[in-house]
Amino acid sequence: MLFQKRTERIFIWVFFPLALMMPLFLEQNTFYVSKLTTIMIFAIFVMSLDYLVGRCGLITLGHAMFYGLGGYIFVMIAPEYDAVNFWIYTFYICAISALIALVIGFLVLRTSGIYMIMITLAFAQMTFYFFSDSIEFGGNDGVFIYVKPDTSLFGISMFDLDNPIHFYYLCLLSLFNTLFFFRLVTRSRFGRVIDAIHENPGRTTALGYNVFVFRLMAYVMASALGAYAGYLFTMQYGFVNPSMLSWQTSGSALVMSILGGLGTLYGAILGTVVYEGLHYVLEHMTEHWLLFMGALIILMVILFKNGIAGYLEKLLEKRS
Amino acid sequence: MNTHVILKTEGLCKYWGGLRALDDISLTFHDRQLHGVVGPNGAGKSTLLNLLCGHYKPTSGKIIHEGEPIDAIKPWAFARRGIGRSFQKTNIYPSATCLENCCIAAQRRMGGSFNFLRSRHHQTVLEELATNALEKVGLAKRRDQVAAHISYGEQRQLEIAMVLATSPCVLLLDEPMAGMGHEESLLIIDLLKRLKQEYCIVLVEHDMDAIFELSDQLTVMVDGQHLTTGSVEQVREDPRVREAYLGQGDEVY
Repeated sequence: MLFQKRTERIFIWVFFPLALMMPLFLEQNTFYVSKLTTIMIFAIFVMSLDYLVGRCGLITLGHAMFYGLGGYIFVMIAPEYDAVNFWIYTFYICAISALIALVIGFLVLRTSGIYMIMITLAFAQMTFYFFSDSIEFGGNDGVFIYVKPDTSLFGISMFDLDNPIHFYYLCLLSLFNTLFFFRLVTRSRFGRVIDAIHENPGRTTALGYNVFVFRLMAYVMASALGAYAGYLFTMQYGFVNPSMLSWQTSGSALVMSILGGLGTLYGAILGTVVYEGLHYVLEHMTEHWLLFMGALIILMVILFKNGIAGYLEKLLEKRS
Repeated sequence: MNTHVILKTEGLCKYWGGLRALDDISLTFHDRQLHGVVGPNGAGKSTLLNLLCGHYKPTSGKIIHEGEPIDAIKPWAFARRGIGRSFQKTNIYPSATCLENCCIAAQRRMGGSFNFLRSRHHQTVLEELATNALEKVGLAKRRDQVAAHISYGEQRQLEIAMVLATSPCVLLLDEPMAGMGHEESLLIIDLLKRLKQEYCIVLVEHDMDAIFELSDQLTVMVDGQHLTTGSVEQVREDPRVREAYLGQGDEVY
């Protein structure tokens, strides 16, 4: 069985059917549909970060760089007034950002711990200022995208990206595929080595594994998926701007992944949904929502040692 | 000694700044023999092992494995050539079961670590190799227990099993009996007696009973320098050893 943990299976059986039915309830209200879409997209990004931080032990504060790059690569390579093919561009964007991650990872992964946090942050800030200072990419305003890609595959168009509900389903599918993909990777022989490196890098080297290369592969993989999330975000709002690249984006993704339960992967979805849910509710109650949000997050981190997923596992796994 | 020389050092030196941790060590290690290394604290025994497994780079000198100099290769490449080591401080994956600990070791040998899909067939073969390694060290009964929950002595055995699962040709063992009770030490001595019939073993150990009993060749080091190498009898009778290592007293240990 691919999804080994009972809690994860329960989560999948509860969350995805609910998410599938959501548009039926919200048909009149495209605002909520698009809100949910954004959450799905960000959950993909958080999951890719969770894989890096929680499974590989590579703590980065620069993951938003790839989120933003996903959008910027798209506006760079796509023609301005023609609809491009969604699937082909998915491939392009993942491939190009993987190449960038290969180069940056090559430098970043020579360090570890606090130094790695600093260097990833430095790279992200460099990218941020590059785009926010460039006239060609619209500076702080970013770039607009006028035509949404079409999603025909072998002549069959599955999703109409101008339709929010279609786009919602595309993002939900992407989210499920990301979880599925990462679960496949963590259960594979590659994933076992990654777990071994996370637990004891010295021993793993002494066994004859080239730790650097394994970490680099994981970094490239997670970065490409982060860029894919950024590409979807750009698609949804029809523009890309430097705030996507900011360290605040990396930071809040990190908070969501810790809130959900580091390294649990599905916890990334929980973390994102809860964080964004709280954000939405508190924002409507008070102007000082950040204050309450901070307090609630501190409370939750203290109460749930391994995040929400860790708490659920404690509840559900015991009884089995 | 006519047996095949697997590993050899030539004028091996390691300096830490001005400190000579190891000075001009030339040794040969033979197949199917246990080569003991003894010396007082700070003699450079662990440094020697760390150089032999590639963990440190030598300041000068050569390490020759099967006729090829290997001192310039990466640490992980040493293990790929079949030079496996255990550490002075227990070094395992505590959260994994004993079987999983050995599986990850065997997987390196088998390859396919860049495979992103699962393979049932592969898993069966891996578990077989891992179980064999556990059986060799007498840990088969602990197969499915989490490594953190087995006794300290068993963890040391597990570490040897992990090295064995990589199908090495040379075993570098850094004080495998450190911190063990008498009974547990006897188990390890017994194990090493069996293992030395198959592998070249370099053993650093403080337990003199054990090392005199096990060694085919014994090297004494003092202050980073090589004092003497020979059979246990030769070393025991060497007056310099008595003086430098054992002091002026009459008791050998």
